[in-house]
Amino acid sequence: MRSRAPGIAVWLLVAAVVLLAYLFAPRFISDFHSRELAGAGVFFIAIVGLNLLTGYTGQISLGHGALMAVGGYTTAALAVHEHWRDVWTIPLAGVAAGIVGFLIGLPALRLSGLYLALATFAFAIAIPSLLKKFSGLTGGSQGLRLLEDAPLQVTGLSGTVTIFGHTMTQNHFLYYLTWGIGLLGFLIAWLLVRGRVGRTFRAVRDSEVAAASVGINLAWTKTLAFALSGVYAGVAGSLLAIQVEIVNPLSFTFLLSILILVGVVVGGLGSLGGMILGALFVQYLPDLSTHVSTAEGAPDFIFGAAIIVVMLLLPTGVGGFLRRLARPLTTRLYLRP
Amino acid sequence: MARVKYLILLVLGALALATVAAGAASETGVTSTQVTIGGTTPLSGPASAYQSVAKGAAAYFRYVNAKGGVNKRKINYIYKDDAYDPSKTVDATRELVSQDKVFAIFNSLGTDQNLATRAYLNALKVPQLFVASGATTFGNDYKKYPYTIGYQPNYRAEGTIYGRYVVKHAPKARIGVLYQNDDYGKDLLAGLQRGLGAKAGLVKSKQSYNVDDPDVQSQIAKLKAAKVNTLMVFATPKFAIQAYVYARKLSWKPLVYMNAVSSAANIMGLSTAATNKKQTEGTISIVFLKDPTDPAWRNNSGMKLYRSIMKKYKGGNPNDVYAVYGMSVAHTFVAALQKAGKNPTRARIVKAADSLNVTNDPFLLPGISVKTSATDHFPLDQAKLQRYHDGHWVAFGGLFRVR
Amino acid sequence: MAMFSTFIAWSLVNHGFSYWAAFVLTVAISFAGGVAVERAVIRPVERAPVLTVVIVTLGLFFVVNGAARWIWSPETRSLPNAFSTRPITVAGVAFSISDLGTIAVSLAAVALLWAFFRFTKLGLASRAAAVNPDASRLVGVRVTWMLALGWGLAAAMGAVSGMLTAPALASFDQNLMQPVLLYAFAGAVLGGIDSPLGAVVGSLLLGVLINLIGTYVNWVGTDLRLPVALAVILGVLLVRPAGLFGRPMETRV
Repeated sequence: MRSRAPGIAVWLLVAAVVLLAYLFAPRFISDFHSRELAGAGVFFIAIVGLNLLTGYTGQISLGHGALMAVGGYTTAALAVHEHWRDVWTIPLAGVAAGIVGFLIGLPALRLSGLYLALATFAFAIAIPSLLKKFSGLTGGSQGLRLLEDAPLQVTGLSGTVTIFGHTMTQNHFLYYLTWGIGLLGFLIAWLLVRGRVGRTFRAVRDSEVAAASVGINLAWTKTLAFALSGVYAGVAGSLLAIQVEIVNPLSFTFLLSILILVGVVVGGLGSLGGMILGALFVQYLPDLSTHVSTAEGAPDFIFGAAIIVVMLLLPTGVGGFLRRLARPLTTRLYLRP
Repeated sequence: MARVKYLILLVLGALALATVAAGAASETGVTSTQVTIGGTTPLSGPASAYQSVAKGAAAYFRYVNAKGGVNKRKINYIYKDDAYDPSKTVDATRELVSQDKVFAIFNSLGTDQNLATRAYLNALKVPQLFVASGATTFGNDYKKYPYTIGYQPNYRAEGTIYGRYVVKHAPKARIGVLYQNDDYGKDLLAGLQRGLGAKAGLVKSKQSYNVDDPDVQSQIAKLKAAKVNTLMVFATPKFAIQAYVYARKLSWKPLVYMNAVSSAANIMGLSTAATNKKQTEGTISIVFLKDPTDPAWRNNSGMKLYRSIMKKYKGGNPNDVYAVYGMSVAHTFVAALQKAGKNPTRARIVKAADSLNVTNDPFLLPGISVKTSATDHFPLDQAKLQRYHDGHWVAFGGLFRVR
Repeated sequence: MAMFSTFIAWSLVNHGFSYWAAFVLTVAISFAGGVAVERAVIRPVERAPVLTVVIVTLGLFFVVNGAARWIWSPETRSLPNAFSTRPITVAGVAFSISDLGTIAVSLAAVALLWAFFRFTKLGLASRAAAVNPDASRLVGVRVTWMLALGWGLAAAMGAVSGMLTAPALASFDQNLMQPVLLYAFAGAVLGGIDSPLGAVVGSLLLGVLINLIGTYVNWVGTDLRLPVALAVILGVLLVRPAGLFGRPMETRV
């Protein structure tokens, strides 16, 4: 047991650093950048969730943008139609998306690989039409505007938010809320992955036949993975709705699903550590591309080229790369001569 | 002693004056040499063809700046991409307001897009000027949103004109409507029904489509099956062209009313090329801008100015009528800024926008003026009817009020 | 890539080439382009996990899309129709000559492709490489070049698709293929992803189904055509996971 102590110490140090960074970052960056980081936080949560499904359980989903839509619209509908306070809708949004995730997971029991990808892709594409059709609930093509129509908003127009006696700007509040939930979600995922659930997931990913032959219930595992990643996506969607104060079918197209997947793979499949970088990549790169050139179509070109270059250089994602780098270090920590 | 006192008073007085003067020039987005304004435009995504609205305006501002600007200030116009996604519009607009510290939001494009930011901008008292959308609410709801104003003739009024014209000239028509399933299409439809009034029953079939549908073949088939002989096309260019093509395929030639958004001469040209001259002959629409591909304006001084600005200041494709729109709205902004005086404030420019009387816009049809007042928040509300004949538009009738 | 090819064709026509000359040239250029893309971008990640390759292709999507908007401005254009748009009636159903022409060209292209794989040595080698790359290498097939060939053929077919779609939809811009994309994917999966006959039948079936449902089921109307079509596909896949004509995959334990 003695040989594990340095390993644990390193992890605690990392955790402490992360916690400090989280708490004090807004002091060093502009108010507006806090808002952008909050946006990255939304991606972070969705990406961690998708990683659980795709990286750890090996199930491809191109439909997580639609699950974010479920979460976002749940929050918006509750805030606008039922006058809930927006932040209290977050758990419910997660649950709603988790249920939908579970439903999507059902076809996964019969489909795999390409066909599963298509089924989830189909869901992602169909969602905007569905959202527009049921306009009584969803506001149709106009969507729902929380700023105007939701009376109980923690953010809203005032520009400042007072929580537990502390007053801070709206953007800071959004940052703390999003990354607080993000870090919590990350912790939960990390614990899951290290435990029995994680091992079950990985077993299913590596070989379904082998997993079934040792008694793992494939159906239960896959649908659990879908539901779990759905919860994360729903929470992310909910936070997005709270940040932007509007939900609209055009915000949840298949491009969003693609971006989340890109974030997972760039971050590193099956590696939680890289997820932060994946989120930052997906949030900041499109913006940076416009700074390089605002010529027609150039930002997309640059963004796509960046994705390709990163994948060519780091095929296992940033997380995979970091893990390879860290291996000599962690091996030494865990194996005492 | 007294002299020192006087000196101190003088210095204090000068300081006071200086701070007052600095204060007067410290309206957000305004310095002694520059006024910064910003807006959002779909530079990417499904509506990216409309970005010329921003590019045309930008070219016009460069032209004005080259001539010295307005009250010695140059206009710095920033436009950001929102990919026609309202949540990106919100983000980009917030960035313009809090990071770029613009004086006003100007010429942002899209109905849902501007609706998304309206409450925020009005709460912060940031002017939302000359919204690039024909939705009626931007001119109607000024009591609730005094900082917001539109520009182009609104869609509902346009539909009303068509309705009234049909009642007057073809009271037995069988009308069919192809409309886009969003506010733009529905506004036009509502206007049509209002214009038809008691004769709303003339509408025999209404077919909608979504902007991400590949084609409208089945909608046209259903309209023909309803024995429609007058087809209202409330659709964006891609689908407007298809309406003609699929009608021809069914050997069907209804009288078409084409909404202004898709009536540009180059679009009509594509429609004619894809079918034949007969199919597009007789199409009716409204017009308020000078169309750059219309030979009638070839030697017109306003269009010559337009072309020279587009060329010199790189405004993009000069045959694009949306660029003409952009220049017209920029021209109006310049007039409003001029009216806001030597020390423009946000309140002053809103007041100027609410009391416009511009009669010299070189890009609008002759006779059209840009007018607003305390009860009239529709800057452009005049148009002419035009008929497509032998490959180009011919205006007929007089100018009338699009209300 | 299909969209990009369509723009190339448009540029050629604009510079004075006739439609068919531009057609052939564009197909050739697209084939070369497809091979180039495979060598430059896919080859380096051949051995990487599948999802990495997927992401690279997604990156490619942005790159090509962006490039198309960079090189050609986003206004609406049209590609001339190879066939006249005169309407004709076949067995009481309204078509136009261009519709029939489009069908003819599509079938011809698919038939050519099928014949290539079935009757030529190169086609045989290609199929071998797909089914069993290791054994193929042993008999001298240059497996990696077969992949490049595959990409080239796919790009060429895409070009044909784009050049037929653009006149059929009467106008085109950079968003040309987006609605087609999903329907194409769905049609292929419905018919069975490894069967060319399946691809044709599946797509036809899908197209007919969507239009029939859209026209006759009022609740669906035109708004929900897409979700309903996808639901149908899902249903089929659940019953027959390999698609209508696909060969069911068996895994040896």
